[in-house]
Amino acid sequence: MAENTLDQDQGAVELADVSKRYGNRHVLRHISLHISRGEFLVLLGHNGAGKTTLLRIMSTLVSPTRGMVRLFGRDPVEEGRTTRRRIGLVTHESFLYPELTVLENLQFYGQFYPVAESRYREMLEMFEVGPYAGVRAGSLSFGLRRRVDMARALLHDPDLVLLDEPFAGLDERTAGILGEHLASLKETGITLAMTSHSPKKAGLTCDRAITLEKGSIVQDVRHAA
Amino acid sequence: MPHERRPDHSRYGWGAGLHHVWLLALKDLRSEFRRPYEVISLLTFSLGAVLIAGLTLGGGRVPPEMVASFIWILLLFLTTLTYTTSFARESDRGTLGGLKSLPCSPLAILGGKVVYGTLLILLVGSVMLFFTGLFLPLDLGGKYAEFLLIYALGAIGLSLAAAFVSGLVMFSEGSTLLLSFLLIPVSVPILLPAVRATTGLLSGTTEVLPALQLLLAAMGLILAVTLLTFTCVLQE
Repeated sequence: MAENTLDQDQGAVELADVSKRYGNRHVLRHISLHISRGEFLVLLGHNGAGKTTLLRIMSTLVSPTRGMVRLFGRDPVEEGRTTRRRIGLVTHESFLYPELTVLENLQFYGQFYPVAESRYREMLEMFEVGPYAGVRAGSLSFGLRRRVDMARALLHDPDLVLLDEPFAGLDERTAGILGEHLASLKETGITLAMTSHSPKKAGLTCDRAITLEKGSIVQDVRHAA
Repeated sequence: MPHERRPDHSRYGWGAGLHHVWLLALKDLRSEFRRPYEVISLLTFSLGAVLIAGLTLGGGRVPPEMVASFIWILLLFLTTLTYTTSFARESDRGTLGGLKSLPCSPLAILGGKVVYGTLLILLVGSVMLFFTGLFLPLDLGGKYAEFLLIYALGAIGLSLAAAFVSGLVMFSEGSTLLLSFLLIPVSVPILLPAVRATTGLLSGTTEVLPALQLLLAAMGLILAVTLLTFTCVLQE
């Protein structure tokens, strides 16, 4: 675990009566959710159900219109920097800069965390993108970019990993590699939350599946260990 | 996935904040020079403007007010062109999310853009000034240090104003158009004293200090507004 602070007894994510509105459009309605440490949660739902917004609120990228959010017992508004240090985020948009090489991209993001120089190569090898270290991110295929994005998100050894549709648009091989990594991440005791509109792909080995519909939780299923 | 960690000496505070600003600016500069067509287009635009002005006005005596105005209008255009692709590009590409997910202050993100823009404007502006000196009467009477000070302060001020407006409009449709229009009124408090101070230096008659004080006051005002509001600008 990256940081063992005073909030040991707190859950990883705590949402209480969270709602989000864009203008007159209600995207999330009264969401209350507790994600325990080490839990692997999948957010299911059709397009527009509010999965991505919920994930973005958990990642501190978006503020809720109302309600309370706590990450590891901390308020992400008051202690944004502290909480963001513990989060690894992969969205359906790549965070890589196309003009920079794969290695330069990792180094850029890594420099904001206490990451050892050897970690970059280690992550590149882990996601089988080592040979592309000197290649500009803009010339990578979608699948390769997604793998580099995963490497970027895990560089700093986060406690909470948030993935928005990580399998979308991936071929079977890349999806397989990613699935293996998610399974091994789960073994390390990391907290994982992932959105998907495909329950089959999301099946993996998740502990809990929550289904969203029109911005509300309609189903919360826990799987036996 | 535990790994050997580099010592984390200064997580917060000014030192870490300035380090973050530099990392962000360096990333932008590196990206900018990897696609040099944008810098080349800035240079081409500047040289074109200097050449046209030089060929039109160069023959006769050009009043210092006109030369000073020409320099600062050109710098305003350079600033606008530089910042049309600043935050808007981050937003369009989706990399803004990456920046916002970093454990740094939103002000560091803004600072990175200001440093990147200022360095780029100073670089292109220096080439523009060199050619202005060739084609237009740019007689500073040996007051190079004063001129460089006004030039640097003005460039920083314009950059700060442009970065702030660029951040404000990045989520809007037609952000490029909005930036061009909104930057004009915001940059007037920077441009007027900068033009007055430059005119004073070129003519050698007017007092430069009052204009310089006004320029610093305008910069202070824009900086204060930016510091107080930019965190909200980045919020979705």
